[in-house]
Order: sequence, then structure tokens, then C-alpha cells
Amino acid sequence: MQINYARKEISCKVVFYGPGMSGKTTNLEVIHQKVPDENKGEMTSIATEGDRTLFFDFLPLDLGKVRGMTTKFQLYTVPGQIYYASTRKLVLQGADGVIFVADSNPSKVDENNESLKDLSDNLEEYGINIREIPLVIQWNKRDLPNALPVAELEAKVNTVGANTTEAVAATGEGVMATLKLCASLVLDRLNAKDGDPQASPVVKSGSKLGAAAAAPKEEEAAAAPKAEVYVAKVGADSISRTFFLQYCQMQYRLAAKEAEVEDFKKFSKDEYKKFLESLINYSLLLQDAKKRSVKPPMDKINAQIDAFKKKFGSPAELNEYLNRRKLSLDALKNEATKNEIINIMISEVLPDIKDRMKITEKEVSDFYNANKAKFNNKPFDDLKGDLVALIKGAKKRSALEEFYGKLRGQAEIKIFEDKL
Amino acid sequence: MKDNKLRQKRLVYYADDLQKIDKLMEEFLKLSNAKCIFLIDKEGHMISNRGLVQQINAETLSALVAGSFAATKEMARLLGESEFSVMFHQGSRDHIHIAIIGDRAISATIFDEKTTVGMINLYSKELSVKLEKIFDIAIRRVHQEQAVEADYSESVKDKLNDLFKE
Repeated sequence: MQINYARKEISCKVVFYGPGMSGKTTNLEVIHQKVPDENKGEMTSIATEGDRTLFFDFLPLDLGKVRGMTTKFQLYTVPGQIYYASTRKLVLQGADGVIFVADSNPSKVDENNESLKDLSDNLEEYGINIREIPLVIQWNKRDLPNALPVAELEAKVNTVGANTTEAVAATGEGVMATLKLCASLVLDRLNAKDGDPQASPVVKSGSKLGAAAAAPKEEEAAAAPKAEVYVAKVGADSISRTFFLQYCQMQYRLAAKEAEVEDFKKFSKDEYKKFLESLINYSLLLQDAKKRSVKPPMDKINAQIDAFKKKFGSPAELNEYLNRRKLSLDALKNEATKNEIINIMISEVLPDIKDRMKITEKEVSDFYNANKAKFNNKPFDDLKGDLVALIKGAKKRSALEEFYGKLRGQAEIKIFEDKL
Repeated sequence: MKDNKLRQKRLVYYADDLQKIDKLMEEFLKLSNAKCIFLIDKEGHMISNRGLVQQINAETLSALVAGSFAATKEMARLLGESEFSVMFHQGSRDHIHIAIIGDRAISATIFDEKTTVGMINLYSKELSVKLEKIFDIAIRRVHQEQAVEADYSESVKDKLNDLFKE
């Protein structure tokens, strides 16, 4: 990105990435067609005779003056074929945002994954984590009769928790929405303070800290709006509606009794507000964790997941259980990650937490005496274990509230209630 | 060092620096007798230009110069060089001379029969040294003023909605 005060110009670079023949150049051609003449420059292609991109396609867009700054987006595509690895890397240099055009054809899953890995590796060479750069995955060729369901693509390809859109680039459908989404993510970055390394585009599908994203259920994906709508802004992060809805369903499924789990639970506005509050807390927690360079103990988390798997006799039993609860291992992993981060962060922010969590005999007996009637006068010794757990829980909750209170005091939070 | 890299990604050019840069480029044009000069960053965004540039599509030229420079760098790597600092393309009427400036910028000079590639090479080396100094200072400077107005992003998004219709 270049901010040029002398020319009063802001210029951003967006790169279309993806496997060969997935429709990157077609995307650019559609954009070239749809943008009014005064807002676009010439489209330049360095292509082979067979019309395959050799080096890159280039299309400059000029949005005109906004708040006194001429705003430009420069769109590039890379050649998709595997053997053009080095040119791809060159074009990627200095990209502010990436649109990954994925092929919905079932036979292209491996190619999609290979290309996504290639993108991740190339970004890494420029010192950029694929989860940190504004990235939109476009599920292209949705009109194929055998196109994989979006939920399946999400699970098989979108392992980086990116925002996604659907498109049929050949007819132009979804192309502008994809560009708009990526451009907004790039712009969100811009608002972060100059050079602020904490700036991150959005809270993505719960996967920011290493665990893979939970695949949304098909009906949720279908209900997801094409252009991203945000329900809240927490510091530099925006929480998208799609992600928020997924979060609500997951939290509900994690807590619900086995027999009661519904496919898609509807919530009242107040319930949504509660979920949003907890998600905001979690976002703040992640931001603070990042600031303190706290990383989730992945070894410990993986061990927890392994221990959980061992509870079941066979993988089939495990799957059956997960299906009944409509959960996935990724969702459990995300939750475990969250809990571990909370544990680490509490001791960072409230250093005296260990002392505060200590429980004296007297506290337990006082509690017992005060609530004796409620326990049907069961003897103290029978109840002691439960009582200790109860008091510990209450203490942890109040410590957490204090902790979130502290975080909230420092952050700027905006909630867009009408978007809930 | 990852954070530093992210920070480096945002190139900010202030008016004061560019005034100095433009002045140096004008001097260069006088001395070398070239038609015009473009200063481009390695990511393909144009930084500034001077001379007879009206006929030239500056944006596409910038993207292509940065791209071809990057490709040349790969060629250099294959030969065990870190980079080729000068490139020259000869046409029947106009020619283009491309030189790197420090770590992150490239100059592209367009000239015709009024001068020679030797002259361009000579003066562009001098220019390069001077510009590099300005860039060095600019990059090390801590950006204190706010980059853009607070609601700039939101305003651009509105514009996107208007322009990028399906």
C-alpha cells in the first residue's frame, strides 16, 4: 500500500490467486466490464498465445477522490499453473489483500489445497502469515452441476478461516461482491494506526490461534449474506455476522444436552445479545493475548483432544457422538484453545488469582451453614466436595468478570444492534 | 521481525520529501536531456514523475516496470547475482532505462535520440545516490501524524457500493 501525501493518493494492491483455470483472469475481465469507464484503466495481460496468463494481468481502478485522497486499487492476477511458482511470488510482493479463486469442481479439491498452501508459503517468505492478510476465498463455478456443497468446500479447503463468497465468474455473478468484500477488509486495515502490527482485519472463524475453522452447517452457509455484514467492532477487529452466527450455534451445541440438540437453533434478540457480549469478551481476550505474545499451548490442547478421543472405543463411535451433538473435533479444539488462553491470561492480568482461588475450610463450612436448608440438611461431609467445586466456580466467574471489565475499560467497542 | 515487515509494507510519502525528490528529478532531466522520468516503488505503485509524461499510461507502466524488474531479479539470482541494478530496453524511437534506487524504489527514464544511454546511465547513478539518502531518512522517520482521516475507510466503502455493483 502506498500513501502519497504529495500526490494525495492512496494506492492498494489486490492479487487474485488460485489454481490454474479457476477463473482469476475471468474475474478481472468481469470487473473491467462492469466498472464505469472513468473509474478504470486499461487491462493489461501478459499471456501466452493460448491465452493462459504468463506473468500477470493488471487492471487499475480509480475510485476518485474520497476525503481529499484519490483512491486506487490495483488488481493483479497470478498464473495458476504449478510451474509458474516464481512469477507468482513476484506478483504477490506488496499485496494488501488476496482473493483466492477456488474451483468448486469436486476433482479440483487437491489443486485448490495445493494452491492455498503455495499462497501461504509465498506469503511466509515475505514474512506474512496467511491468517493476517485480508483474504477472501471465492468459491467459483457454483453453476457446475456437480459443484461441491459450500459446507464441504469450507471443511476441505478453507483451513485458514478466511471469509468466503460464492460466484459464477463466467456470468459475472458474485465477482463484484468478492472484490467489494476484499476491498473492505483492506480498508479496515488502513484505519488501524499507521504501522500498527496488532491491526488485524477481522475475527475469523474462531481459528485465529491455530485451530482449524469449524465448518458451518450448510443452511447457515446458505443463509450467509454475500457481502459481509458486521455486528460489532472491537478495537481494530470487526466481527462479521456470518462468524457471529456460527459462534452462537457452536456455543449452543457445546452447552446443550445431547437429546435436545437442534440443527439450527433460533435465538431471541436478548439471547443473541448475550452471545455477542461473550464473543466481544473473547475478541478482547485474543487481542490482549496477542499484545502480550501469549500463544496457546498447542501440545496441551492436542493432548486434551487425544484424551477425549480415547474415551471412545473406535473412531466410528467418536463420529457418532459428534454427529449426535452436531459438533466437530475442530469445534472442541477451538473451545479448548479458548479455555487455555483464558487460563493463561487470567494469571497475566490478575497475578494474585492463585491466592484468590484458594478456599479455606471456614469458607466451605460457612457456605454450608448459610444454605443448609437448601441441601435438605444432608451431612456436611457428604457435600463437601461439591461445595468446594461450587465455590471455586463462583470465584472463577467473578475473577473472569473483573478481568473482562479491565479489558473492556481499555477498548473501543461498537455494537451494530440492527445487524443482529 | 514479522511486525517490522508488516510495517514496511505501508509506504508513506510525505509532501516535503517528494518536493526534494521532484527537484532532483527535474535537475536530472535537464542534465541528461531525457524526455521524462518515473519513480516507482517495487510493489508497482508510482511515487512521482517529471517531464513529458502526458502520453504515457503511468499506472500500467509502473506495474510493468516493477514486474519486469522483479523478473530480472530472479534472473540475477539464477546467475548468483543479488540483482541487476540497471536494465535497458531499446526501441526504434524511444528507449527506456530502468535503475534501482536503494531497497525499495526503481527509476524508469524514457529518452530518445537527443541523448545517449551513456549519459542517462551516468546521471541516473548520481540521482540514485541522492534519492537513496532521502528514502533512507524517510523510512527511518517515525510516522507521527495520523495516516488518513478516521472515517476515510467508511467513505471509501460507500463509494465501493456505488461503483462495484453486480
